[in-house]
Amino acid sequence: MLLPMFEFHEPLSIAEALDLKKKLGQSARILAGGTDLLVHLKKKLVKTENLISLSRIKALSLITEQKDSIFIGACATMTQISRSPVIAKKFSALKSGCDNLGSHLIRNRATIGGNACNASPAGDTLPALLIYDSVALLESCGKKREIPIADFFTGPGKSCIQPDEILTGFRLPIPPDHSGAHYIQLGKRKSSEINVVNVASFLEYDPDTKKVIATRIALGSVAATPIRAARAEAAMLGQAPEEASFFAAAEKARREDCRPIDDFRGTAGYRQAMVGVLTKRTLATAYERAKGACI
Amino acid sequence: MKKIITLTINDQSHEIAVEPNITLADMLRYELGLTGTKKGCDTGDCGACTVIMDGDVVNSCLVLAIQANGSVIETIEGLSTDEGLSPLQEAFVEKGAIQCGFCSPGMIMSAKNLLDKNPNPTEDQIREGVSGNLCRCTGYQKIFEAIESQRS
Repeated sequence: MLLPMFEFHEPLSIAEALDLKKKLGQSARILAGGTDLLVHLKKKLVKTENLISLSRIKALSLITEQKDSIFIGACATMTQISRSPVIAKKFSALKSGCDNLGSHLIRNRATIGGNACNASPAGDTLPALLIYDSVALLESCGKKREIPIADFFTGPGKSCIQPDEILTGFRLPIPPDHSGAHYIQLGKRKSSEINVVNVASFLEYDPDTKKVIATRIALGSVAATPIRAARAEAAMLGQAPEEASFFAAAEKARREDCRPIDDFRGTAGYRQAMVGVLTKRTLATAYERAKGACI
Repeated sequence: MKKIITLTINDQSHEIAVEPNITLADMLRYELGLTGTKKGCDTGDCGACTVIMDGDVVNSCLVLAIQANGSVIETIEGLSTDEGLSPLQEAFVEKGAIQCGFCSPGMIMSAKNLLDKNPNPTEDQIREGVSGNLCRCTGYQKIFEAIESQRS
C-alpha cells in the first residue's frame, strides 16, 4: 500500500513542535509510534500534507517519579512503560494494558499518547488511565492545560485536544497504601486483537473497618468512549470487600453502566455478560493486591 | 522532498536519499535489494516484515525509512555468514519449521530477538515471543520446536 506524499518534520523540542503545529494548523498531523496513524494513512482513512514526528523529543518519552505522582511522557512506548519498575510496582493495571496491546512488535513502537489520542473505545491503556485518575497534560504556544482523563474522550476516535495543542504526557497520582488494581482484556485471540470487552478496577479499603473507601471501575469497548462505571462504583463504596459485594457491583456495571453494540466481534448481549464477569474478577484481584496478597 | 539518512544495516553503514513516505520495509526491499524482509499485510498485523531496530523487533511496514535515520537495523540477510546459515536458521530447516517460507524471515528475526534477550525461554515465553508473527502453513508446532532446540 502506498502512503500519500507529505512533508516530514522532526522537531527536537516541545517548543519547536508547538511552533510547527501552530504554523501548519490542520494541514499537519502528529506522528508518535505510527502504529495507528500509518495504517490509517495507508488505508486512506485520513489524509495529511504534513507529519510532525515527536520521537526525537527526549522529554516526551520520560517516565519520572515525583513525590506524590509520576509523569509518563506521551511518547513513552508500551515496552518502555512495561519495563519501568515504578509502573510494575504501583500501577499494575497500566502495565497489564501495555503488555496486552497488539503484539510485541507493535508494543515496541506504540505510545501511550498515541493510544489516548486515537481514542478508540477499546484502547488497551485507557481503562487503566481512567482508574488511576490520570491527568492529561496539553500544551500549545504559550499555554498549558490539564484535563482529568474522565473528560478527555469525547466520542469514538475523538478527544478534547485542540488543533494547536500537543499532548505531552500524563500525570498519575501514586495510589495510596491498602489499594490495588487489575485489568483484564477479552478478545478472541491472545495477541494482535482488538478487545471485545476490557475492564479495569481500582479498590482502596480501610484495614481497620475493612470497608471499601474508594473505588474506580472503567469499562472499555462497551460505549462510545472508555467509561467509568458510576453505578457499580456507588454500589461498591462502603461495602465489605467480598464476593457478594463484588458480584452486586458487577451486576450494576452489567445492567446499568454499559451500552454495548453488536458488531462482528461480538453481540451486545455477550459484551454485557462479559462486563459482569470481568468487573467481578478485576474487583476481586484488585482487593487481593490491596491486601498485598499478590502482585 | 528526499532527505539523506544514514543507518547501519547488518553491520554495514548506508547513506541513502529517501522520500518521507517510503516505509523501512520498502526501502530495504526496493532501494537496497534486501528482499528477505517480506510484506504480508503491510499494516502491522502479520509480522512478515519483522526486523530488529535498535535492539527491538518492529514491523518495518510501520516505520518510515526517514524515522530510521541513525538507527541500527538487523535483517534476515544478516544472520547467515560465509560459513552458511546461522544455528537458528539451521534449526528451522532441520525441524520442518519452514514450508512456503514466507513467514520465516520475520519469524526467525522474532525468534532471534527472543533468544538474545532470554536465552532459556519457557514454552509459554516462546509462544508469546513469536505471537506477532503469523504462519498459515505449519501450525506453529515445528516453529516452537526449532526455537526450543536453540535454548542454552
